[in-house]
Amino acid sequence: MSKARNKKRGKRAKPKRASAVKMSSSAAVTVATNARKPVKERIAAMANVTQAVCEKDNKFQALLKVLRNMNEPIRVRLAALQALQAASFAVVQFESRRADYLATLRAVATDADPELRQRVLGLLAREKDGFAQQRLLEGLQQPGKALLPPEKALQLLSYDIHADAYPVARMIVKSPPNEEAKREALRLLAADASSKPLFERILNDKEETKENRQLSASALQAIAPEAMQTHARELLLDPKEYDDIQATSLTALTQFGTAAKVEKDEELLKRVASLKSAGSNKLKRGARRFLTKYGS
Amino acid sequence: MPHVTATAALSEQQFGALVEALSSDPTRRAELTDLLREDHPVYDQRSAASIVRMRGWILIALSHVGLTDTALLFVLEELDTGRDAYLVAAAARALRSYANPVAAFAPFVMRAITNIRYHDEYVAFERYGEYAISATGTTSLSELLATLVWLGPHACEILPELEQLRMNRGGGFSNHLLLEIERTLEAISGPAPPMDHRTDMCCTSPISLGDALSWVRGSRCGCETIESTVFKDHDGARITFREFFRGHPSVVVFFYTRCDNPQKCSLTITKLARLQNLLLERGLAEQIRTAAITYDPGFDIPERLRGYAKNRGVLMNVDHRMLRAVEGINELRAHFKLGVNFIGSLVNRHRIEVYILDAAGGIAASFERIHWDEQQIIERAVALLNEERDARARSK
Repeated sequence: MSKARNKKRGKRAKPKRASAVKMSSSAAVTVATNARKPVKERIAAMANVTQAVCEKDNKFQALLKVLRNMNEPIRVRLAALQALQAASFAVVQFESRRADYLATLRAVATDADPELRQRVLGLLAREKDGFAQQRLLEGLQQPGKALLPPEKALQLLSYDIHADAYPVARMIVKSPPNEEAKREALRLLAADASSKPLFERILNDKEETKENRQLSASALQAIAPEAMQTHARELLLDPKEYDDIQATSLTALTQFGTAAKVEKDEELLKRVASLKSAGSNKLKRGARRFLTKYGS
Repeated sequence: MPHVTATAALSEQQFGALVEALSSDPTRRAELTDLLREDHPVYDQRSAASIVRMRGWILIALSHVGLTDTALLFVLEELDTGRDAYLVAAAARALRSYANPVAAFAPFVMRAITNIRYHDEYVAFERYGEYAISATGTTSLSELLATLVWLGPHACEILPELEQLRMNRGGGFSNHLLLEIERTLEAISGPAPPMDHRTDMCCTSPISLGDALSWVRGSRCGCETIESTVFKDHDGARITFREFFRGHPSVVVFFYTRCDNPQKCSLTITKLARLQNLLLERGLAEQIRTAAITYDPGFDIPERLRGYAKNRGVLMNVDHRMLRAVEGINELRAHFKLGVNFIGSLVNRHRIEVYILDAAGGIAASFERIHWDEQQIIERAVALLNEERDARARSK
């Protein structure tokens, strides 16, 4: 091979490598949507499509087509979804794309692939989409129709307090399909002021799991801080109580306690003083804050 | 067919069928409009998404049979404050079935375009509860633009705003939508309507609309039923209705801190703060009281009320309070005939409502649904104050 030829090759090779790394956004869409290209290359190209998707309708439509197409490899479809989601963060530029994007998400919300389904329903739930909420509720009421596991469905429904998920969440707390679903149901109910008696019962039930009792303590502090103060005192005085629950109790009393009442409560002050040097760091910190406010 | 007053237990599909039946029976069409009342039992214990489907279907039914003056207010309210693409699209479509285009409608449509442009969606109106899962058919923006086309030259007032929208391509309308905007501009810029149709050119509303937006009670009802209603204010202080509302005229607004429509509660409280500033400027802050009462007293504890008000610049003291009813909530709801419904303890739908109370605590005037003007409320309250001063002077 002549020196000149080698030189020529070298000159050609450099820009080629450079173009592979710094592909224009439009070219990236062309690669990402080309079914003849290797999956790995298509997925790599997806990372670079955002600008073209926002600026050019044909590029955007091509990507939507990949997402909708059940014959495409699932990894490519998931990457397309991620790219579209990234583009949607540019709210103003994405304005004209939004309607098509949402319609496509709804179309693939019932896809056969569970991961795609979960991610799409997650995106729709964040939009408080009525279609997604309807499907999620239906799945909780009739498990045969469920698109997602109950704990995930409850988590997604909790994005919208107006989603009518409280009755089904109460039903799940009463007879949970699994422990995780019960926990998610409690998390969801933490915004429901009328669930106060439920949380009081769980908080005071020493047979309940620590997580559920801790969740109940936080929920009560949010929806009924006055009621939580009464429980908090009892929980703090119990030496066998969990650190996390006692820490939440301390926060409740520090933030919402009635100073005149707490400052006269010798038993409580003595107990909190002992917590200042015992238990977890969280508990110690809580005790110090409490004593700064109420201690003499 | 079930009677409309016994609809609380209907499934959504049954509700859809009821709406279709009412719209096909000319003798029962008024019941369709009645179903749009937020406090109608049919909305009790429904999710917000269900209510969107239900109200949307009523609006679509109205668009088939023609929008009446009584239903017009609900449509304009949706355009003024609506954030849901389906409802706004249905309202736009319903407005086009009104007897004739009126210039006063144009600002509502334009406001809806501003409110919805970042929340646009494809919508489907063929079957009850249907959601668009393909990018065919219509969107809320397309429906709003079609309504402007229907208004034609009557919408000339909003021409500069629409031009601005077209120019601002950074906003990124699709080519298809830009084409629709062009078509709309063309329709609006057309020849002015003949003189005999131009009575509405200076934005006057249909007469019935003006009455419905704000009204003065002919005979003020008493407040005996709620005098002993107990509130807690933003500091947790207890006070009864009688203690706070007797002795001074007051302005009362309703809201709740978890409202997710920035055009409703958040704006209402912001406007209350502006109204208080106007009272201060005129030296009336101790003679006219203000109160913001939450629809959600279980959740809106004093800390939340205080934080919400503080973030919106609301003045809080003995004459100006954020209130939650702790006893007698149902009586309060009945007394004000509040336009609200609930799912559990949570609000699922409500209207905008402001009341002016006289010194006896009776409702003297109210402003409903459409955004109110602070100055107008002040004028009404001041008139009431003067009226009471005069009465006192006469009695001496």
